[in-house]
Amino acid sequence: MDPLSIAMITDFFHPNVGGVENHIFMLSANLLRKGHKVIVITHSHDPDRVGIRWMLPSLKVYYLPYPTIASSATLPNYFTFLPYFRTIILREHITLIHAHASLSPLGQEGILHAHLMGVRTVFTDHSLFGFEDAASILTNKLLEAALKNVDAVICVSHIGRENTVLRGQLFEKTDEDPSTVAVSGNVFVIPNALVADQFKPSQIPDVSQPSSKPLCVTIVVISRLAYRKGIDLLVAAAPRICSAFPNVKFVIGGTGPKLNELLQMREKHLLQDRIELLGPVRHSDVRDVLVRGSIFLNTSLTESFGIAILEAACAGLYVVSTRVGGVPEILPEDMISFANPEEDDVFRAMSEAITIVSQGKHDPWNAHKRVKGFYDWFQVAERTEKVYESVIKSDQRDLWTRIRRTMELGPFAGLIYVVILIVNCVFFLILEWSIPREDLHFVWMHWNRDYFIELSQKEARKTSFI
Amino acid sequence: MSAEEWEKVLWKTQSYPDNHIPARYFLASLRKNPNFRPYTYWPLVLASCAITQHLATIYIFLAVFVRLKECSLDPRILVWITVACFIGGYLAWELLNCSRSDTARRNANGTKTLKSSILVFLALMALSPVLKTLTAATSSDSIWALSAFLFMLNALLADYSPAKLGGQVRERLTSVLSMNAAISSSVVLGSRLSDGLAVFALILFSVQAFALFPMLRQRLQATLTIFQALLTLLLSLLSICLTASLSATVSCIYAATLVAVTFVAPGILVWAQKYKNEIRGPWDVAVPKVN
Repeated sequence: MDPLSIAMITDFFHPNVGGVENHIFMLSANLLRKGHKVIVITHSHDPDRVGIRWMLPSLKVYYLPYPTIASSATLPNYFTFLPYFRTIILREHITLIHAHASLSPLGQEGILHAHLMGVRTVFTDHSLFGFEDAASILTNKLLEAALKNVDAVICVSHIGRENTVLRGQLFEKTDEDPSTVAVSGNVFVIPNALVADQFKPSQIPDVSQPSSKPLCVTIVVISRLAYRKGIDLLVAAAPRICSAFPNVKFVIGGTGPKLNELLQMREKHLLQDRIELLGPVRHSDVRDVLVRGSIFLNTSLTESFGIAILEAACAGLYVVSTRVGGVPEILPEDMISFANPEEDDVFRAMSEAITIVSQGKHDPWNAHKRVKGFYDWFQVAERTEKVYESVIKSDQRDLWTRIRRTMELGPFAGLIYVVILIVNCVFFLILEWSIPREDLHFVWMHWNRDYFIELSQKEARKTSFI
Repeated sequence: MSAEEWEKVLWKTQSYPDNHIPARYFLASLRKNPNFRPYTYWPLVLASCAITQHLATIYIFLAVFVRLKECSLDPRILVWITVACFIGGYLAWELLNCSRSDTARRNANGTKTLKSSILVFLALMALSPVLKTLTAATSSDSIWALSAFLFMLNALLADYSPAKLGGQVRERLTSVLSMNAAISSSVVLGSRLSDGLAVFALILFSVQAFALFPMLRQRLQATLTIFQALLTLLLSLLSICLTASLSATVSCIYAATLVAVTFVAPGILVWAQKYKNEIRGPWDVAVPKVN
């Protein structure tokens, strides 16, 4: 397909670290490799990360000067982003925007503004949400409003898609029979991926002694120590596992509000020499922590995709996880043991896993090879490209269709959003008049990869002569 | 389309397009209203009796206040009525408790109750001249507004749940706040009265109605249904009768609110249940089960 100019819009990006941040970076890098032009638009970070920065490989990042309110998200204000957005989209000649994460107001606002410049929209949802508490009801309504006029939605797992379809009410009237509804055809599932070479198992496989029993089984846990990650289960199950298996050790990485409970548990059961708490672990060090052990334990209570599980499996660890969210979809049954989110069941699954591993039935290098075959960022980029292609080929909705679709939100919310939509158009006209397109500083020079390589080679030759 | 079966996995490259929606699997694990137990009308009416009783108590208190203020009720009579109610209520309380506690402890409790009730009685009597002038400098308009607000707070925060049989009575923060609001309200109203004895009678009555009666009410709620209904009817009729001679309009409003709370509101709740749509699925945050 023809190269596109894509803008990734989200509140969650480097220098923060996390699943969404990494996903956006890897996807952008692979789209760049395929010849597209990609920029990222996000909010600024204290103290001085504001303005335009370049990241390797030739990824341009716009850090807009917006203060954040909570969990690194900006205030949802619907209009204030438009002046920046218009200028950036026009000067970069963007043809498609890709918003990420449902709790990112910047992304939702981008979807709202894009049609003014004839730009197409794609949205990726990364997380699962419930339907019962007041916060979910509110954020789900905001999401529904944003997704009424988006051109395509991508979810990271099948469970995630079911969740997003329900939250965003992504149903369309069918053509044959207008009284029935069906899920709209523009909802895609494209999983995350990982760079398998960054997660290699530690030792070279010892072919001469395949049944050599490891003297000590180390269990690794790397997670934010929060309620949602099921640390209560870990606190309850770890002492039982330690007393049942004298050859088991724990290595726990990460920090969070539940750290004190872990420390108390360790002290109460006198397990200081068997449970090691590492504190926060940088993403680049995760592999080194993982390869210290042979079993990875994940006790999350909800998980959309579970990239940490995948990284552990790739590093050759046997995985034990709670059966929640999208976790059952990501690995074949023989590479992972499931437990229900109950103390007894976690203990049972861990006992089985310890038996499997200490009998030498789990081959780390084989596991690594298999995971390497399952997930690849290049494939993810290719599948995302197909979504882009279908969006570009489809017809764009006109303003009247947008208003009509927005009114479907309900008699109260619909009216509010129509007002926002129309005021936004007026605001855009004012901007067209006050900042005319002729006065913008258009970007004509792009990062030329071949030229960059040529230059760096020339430079290298020069230094070698000296 | 290929003959290969679609699987709900991400690790396998499948020959279906990414937006393929398998009719058989999609939203298969969605459950609607899984733990839904529909309310029926009459149990709800019975449960709302507690609210009606509380509202009726407030109305009775207000009627008594107005009568005291207009000097159409002798404060001494009110004191005697309050003491009689206290003794009656205490006997009822003991009767309800007699099945579960031993005699020795009950006797000790009885002496303690007698001691503290005399103490409260004397303390209120000593304090009533002070309470009478406490907010005398504030204008009456502010007092009406303040006491109305405090009574609303009292009705909103009160604990309407029945007491657990055999369990220790545990006061929740909101019910303590509710009681405080009502007592403060009667204190500020007391400053509008003309003599010290009337203030004393009013405060004693308010302690009776808003501190002691809710405890007895909670205990009664756990017993026979017929008691509940009779008590509700009695209190409602009493509040309306007491108000009727003062103002017909107000007593109509009172009657309307009592009927609305007892009979109309439960009906609305039963009707609104058909809109209940609770969605549950594998994306919900699991509840960890720890022994």
